[in-house]
Amino acid sequence: MQRAQGFLFILPAIIVLALLVLYPIAYTGLLSVTDETGNYVGLANYTAVVGARMTATAVRNTVYYVAVSIVFQVVLGTAAGILLNQRFRGRALVRAVALLPWVVPGIVAATTWAWMFHTEFGIINYALTSTGIVSSPVGWLTDRDIVMPALIAINVWKLFPFVAVMVLAALQAVPNELYESARIDGANFWHEVRHVMLPQIRPVLVAITLLLIIWGLNAITIIYTITRGGPANRTLITPIQIFRYAFESFDFNGAAALSVMFFLVALVFVAIYIKLFATERDGRLT
Amino acid sequence: MKRSWAGGIAIFASAALLVFVAIFPFLWMALSSVKTLRELYTVPPIWFPEALTFDNYAKVLFNSNIPRYFLNSTIISVGSTAVALAVAIFASYGFARFNFRGKASAQAFILVGQLLPTAAIIVPLFIILRWFGLVNSYLGLILVYTIITLPLSVWMLTSYFRAIPFELEEAAIIDGCSRLGVLFRITLPLSLPGLVAVIVYAFVTTWNEFIFALVFAQDFRVKTLPIGIAEFSTEFNTDWGAVMAASMVMTVPVALVFFGMQRLFVGGLTAGAVKG
Repeated sequence: MQRAQGFLFILPAIIVLALLVLYPIAYTGLLSVTDETGNYVGLANYTAVVGARMTATAVRNTVYYVAVSIVFQVVLGTAAGILLNQRFRGRALVRAVALLPWVVPGIVAATTWAWMFHTEFGIINYALTSTGIVSSPVGWLTDRDIVMPALIAINVWKLFPFVAVMVLAALQAVPNELYESARIDGANFWHEVRHVMLPQIRPVLVAITLLLIIWGLNAITIIYTITRGGPANRTLITPIQIFRYAFESFDFNGAAALSVMFFLVALVFVAIYIKLFATERDGRLT
Repeated sequence: MKRSWAGGIAIFASAALLVFVAIFPFLWMALSSVKTLRELYTVPPIWFPEALTFDNYAKVLFNSNIPRYFLNSTIISVGSTAVALAVAIFASYGFARFNFRGKASAQAFILVGQLLPTAAIIVPLFIILRWFGLVNSYLGLILVYTIITLPLSVWMLTSYFRAIPFELEEAAIIDGCSRLGVLFRITLPLSLPGLVAVIVYAFVTTWNEFIFALVFAQDFRVKTLPIGIAEFSTEFNTDWGAVMAASMVMTVPVALVFFGMQRLFVGGLTAGAVKG
């Protein structure tokens, strides 16, 4: 009786997720091995997608975008988290303001930065040319070799506050005795960072990195609104390619084949994350 | 802890830099939204407009679809938050207070739902919604947003419910209260901060979401604000003043909700996500 009751409580959530997550996943699998009229075609969709030149480009761009973003997000976010854990006047306000980039809609971050990166009238080019750092305006969002780093910068700005909050929360749980004994041994601030803080927050950093990979694979808003994958596919990432297959070429089966492959890659990281951090007992992460 | 003079300066400088980086884009957005076109398109840029102009806002508020999108965003965010909250309350209570076979797998399943890439399920979801005639409908968007916010809502609420002493519930059960009675009369009132955190999280997430809106709302009657802003800025000749004004209209409600509830929200999120 008790047991059945518990299951009844979670049943609605399970039904909603089964209908809107599990069923679509199964359906994607089906779509990926059929043609548009529903005939079984084996792996034809997969070979077509893998053979497309766009696919390799997208994979390369996705790895580049996600990997470089994460390095900066984690490093800057950790530094900000350590800073916010220090005692100083106005700390509460700084903590709140530092979170702002993370809270605002991704679309707003995209439009605001696109305006600041504007080649002719953008404030960033003005700041750089008027101080003599660059001699002529940079085509941040139009130059093929610069557009990806510019988008990564926006992405880092958007998500480093999340890392900072998580690091801050982890630092607040570090017992004071550890600092005290480090100080008795004559540790300065950098020693404390290296030998007390970083080892203590390492599990959290691993969890955050995995989460950032999982989210990063999924992040499309900034790139889609600013460049839509251009110029010359230099910012084409796999989620945008899925999007193009489905809603520009209306090739749902090709999109499904790409989705399945993309999904399996993401699933590897999700599995690692759950294995490492989701304890069954109390249902929390880390 | 005593700190050296140089250490104090370093902290002050880093904090100032952090605040500048975090807030400058918003200041620039706010300033740009009250400039005339001529002031926007000039080199060197003008920091402060000579006279504030509200033409950009007038254009956005009276001469575009943005007010309608604002209404759509509100209806969809409120609806989806309500659905997610209702479902999450029961699920979290089940996880926090009962033991049953398959509980661990059910929790893992919900977590996976949170982590899966939405891009990978967007095609079948679109086909399914089209099948039910739910593309371009409030109900369709409310449902798809529920799957984005439900998993984390369940996790946050579960940890809140667990923190409430079970003895309180036992006493009520002995007095003849049913399980549902206990949930609604004892557990929920005691976890008000957790509920608020979940509401803020679900509302803000739905309000900000872009990709699902792009796919499932293709008609102006259900399009949401992010799509409205994207429409402004993808036209051949971007009207940056109007884009900045529309961005302000979209950001201010989120920023107000966030700063009003900041402590609760961050506390709830980190409690659900990081504590060991």
